[in-house]
Amino acid sequence: MTAMTEQHPVLDMQGISKKFSGKPALKGISFTVPKASLTVLLGPAGAGKTTTLRLIAGLDTPDEGDVLLSGLNVAGWEPKDRGVAMIFDNLALYPDKNGFGNIASPLVIRGESKDVITAKVNEMAKVLQVTSILGRLPKTMSGGERQRIALGRALIRSPNLFLLDEPLSSLDAKLRIELRAELRRMQRDHGYTFLLATPDFHEAMAIADTIVMLRQGEVVQIAPPQEMYDHPVDRETALFIGAPQINLLAARCEASGLHFAGGRLPLPQHMQPFLAALAAFELGIRPENLRLAPVESAVIRATLADIESLGPKSVLTVRNADATLHLVVSSVEAVALSVGMDLGIELADPAKLLAFDAHTGLRLGHSA
Amino acid sequence: MLTKNLSPLQAVLMFAALVVVLFPVFWILMTAIKPPTDWNASPAIWFPSEPTLVNFKTLFDPDALGEYGVGGVSQPATKAVFGSILATFVATALSVTIGLFSAIGISRYGNGSKATPLVILSGRMFPPAAIAVPFVIIFSNIGLIDSYVGLICIYVAVTLPFSTWMIKSFVDDLPREIEEAAMIDGRSKLMAHLTVTIPLIKGGLFATTMFIFILNWSEFMFALVLSYTSVSTIPVQLAKYVTATAGTLYGVQAALAVLAMVPLVIVGYLIQSHLARGMTFGAIKQ
Repeated sequence: MTAMTEQHPVLDMQGISKKFSGKPALKGISFTVPKASLTVLLGPAGAGKTTTLRLIAGLDTPDEGDVLLSGLNVAGWEPKDRGVAMIFDNLALYPDKNGFGNIASPLVIRGESKDVITAKVNEMAKVLQVTSILGRLPKTMSGGERQRIALGRALIRSPNLFLLDEPLSSLDAKLRIELRAELRRMQRDHGYTFLLATPDFHEAMAIADTIVMLRQGEVVQIAPPQEMYDHPVDRETALFIGAPQINLLAARCEASGLHFAGGRLPLPQHMQPFLAALAAFELGIRPENLRLAPVESAVIRATLADIESLGPKSVLTVRNADATLHLVVSSVEAVALSVGMDLGIELADPAKLLAFDAHTGLRLGHSA
Repeated sequence: MLTKNLSPLQAVLMFAALVVVLFPVFWILMTAIKPPTDWNASPAIWFPSEPTLVNFKTLFDPDALGEYGVGGVSQPATKAVFGSILATFVATALSVTIGLFSAIGISRYGNGSKATPLVILSGRMFPPAAIAVPFVIIFSNIGLIDSYVGLICIYVAVTLPFSTWMIKSFVDDLPREIEEAAMIDGRSKLMAHLTVTIPLIKGGLFATTMFIFILNWSEFMFALVLSYTSVSTIPVQLAKYVTATAGTLYGVQAALAVLAMVPLVIVGYLIQSHLARGMTFGAIKQ
């Protein structure tokens, strides 16, 4: 790696737009992926994640904007010349080649000698623990085995950038969590640069250095996972990230304080600059930011409507005349509760309240 | 052969269908080995009294029927057999090759416009006879009439819609990511198609080739109107076995028909194993 390319991010997307038969799929998106980082493209189905990856790989051509790889504009470059590896959401293994043949194919195409290929593939197989299935055809492999073979085919080339399109989507939950930890470990250990697309915010939160939030072909926010969770750019992002979902309630701001869900709170410090002028807005409260309190001194009083146990934690659904709220409590606390009880609820940390413009959905105080 | 048990009704219907389909084949085989006296006898002669190969001999030696007092047979069938083989093989190869690349172009790159596949198919939307006369005139003017080049051009033109559409359906069924994986792994676009797409649709390619082969092999009308003396094909030759003295030479026609069936039976047998789909199973997450 020369000093010159060292200064550039591995990937620099500059105002990329793409239309498919007249319908915009991407509307001028820009973001960068620094070297040796794991960036996650997060967004619901149809947000443009796969399109973005395909444009980077050179499988499609952007209508506008530039794709820069290590500082070089790769417009017009064939996929093979871009130094990127891609794992497709359907894996796209060669059905007529066995595990060995699939992993070896990039080396075979490059014209490596037989000895080199055998040595490299065997080494890779050991790392991925697929030595025993190298002789089998993809159709006889399990989902996790296919996944590893596809990973091996990508890793063996040591490309500058890995594009992973929902690589774990078809695996069962346990294997998914195992493999995503493995992916993360491999990426860190070898200093690989990953760009991973997923609709699963859990996955994104768990492994990302940076999340690029994509919605309807636009980048709505770029931030580290916790930052995006605590300070989502807008209501949609706040709803997309987090389960149980964030509580959104109508709120009013008056001289007497903040009114919501039949309760009142002194206006928190961080809201004062931008709420004073507003009559109505939406208040966002993360379920873990609510906690039980003695009924007499509580900010909000409500009736317990449902208890859903998640194991160590439980989700409570409470209702009063003004609102329905979800809150997360420890299951130890929940044992004492029964549906129909009157509960008192208070905020754990008023400083973590979020406020969204009722019309635009943007988070108030967000510096855009 | 039968892997499941048929009910009596099914068995009867199946047998009836077989009789309907196979009777003409049986009759042609029998007629091919009948002497001229048996061809057209009444009541019909089912099995020839004296099986003979004279009909086959006549195909290559027009005077062979002289011993039965039949003369005036037209020229030998050698040229027609050669012509059929030449026109069919070349036209089929061209049609399938061009169809393959247009299918990949349409399916993978959306070449032309959305209407392109339909425009290609529109070539089959009117009866071939409707374009025969214009072609005779055009080909006369540009010197392609009565030439194999001209005949092959026509055969490619009329079968291309079939080959393009059939192959396109096989390419459409193949996940494009498999060939894209090859492009990312280091293949050029062309090489990715040659090394990945084509091997994975070879069953479909065989089936298409077979179909186009049959179309070309049995084509009659264009061969008839576009040939005078230097070009001939088996279907045209079949129509020529009529003499002033003995009428239609059914036995000789049957003999030529039997010969014409041989390649079709062979290709049909070979194709069976390639018709099985499922080549792509396992390539993608199901």
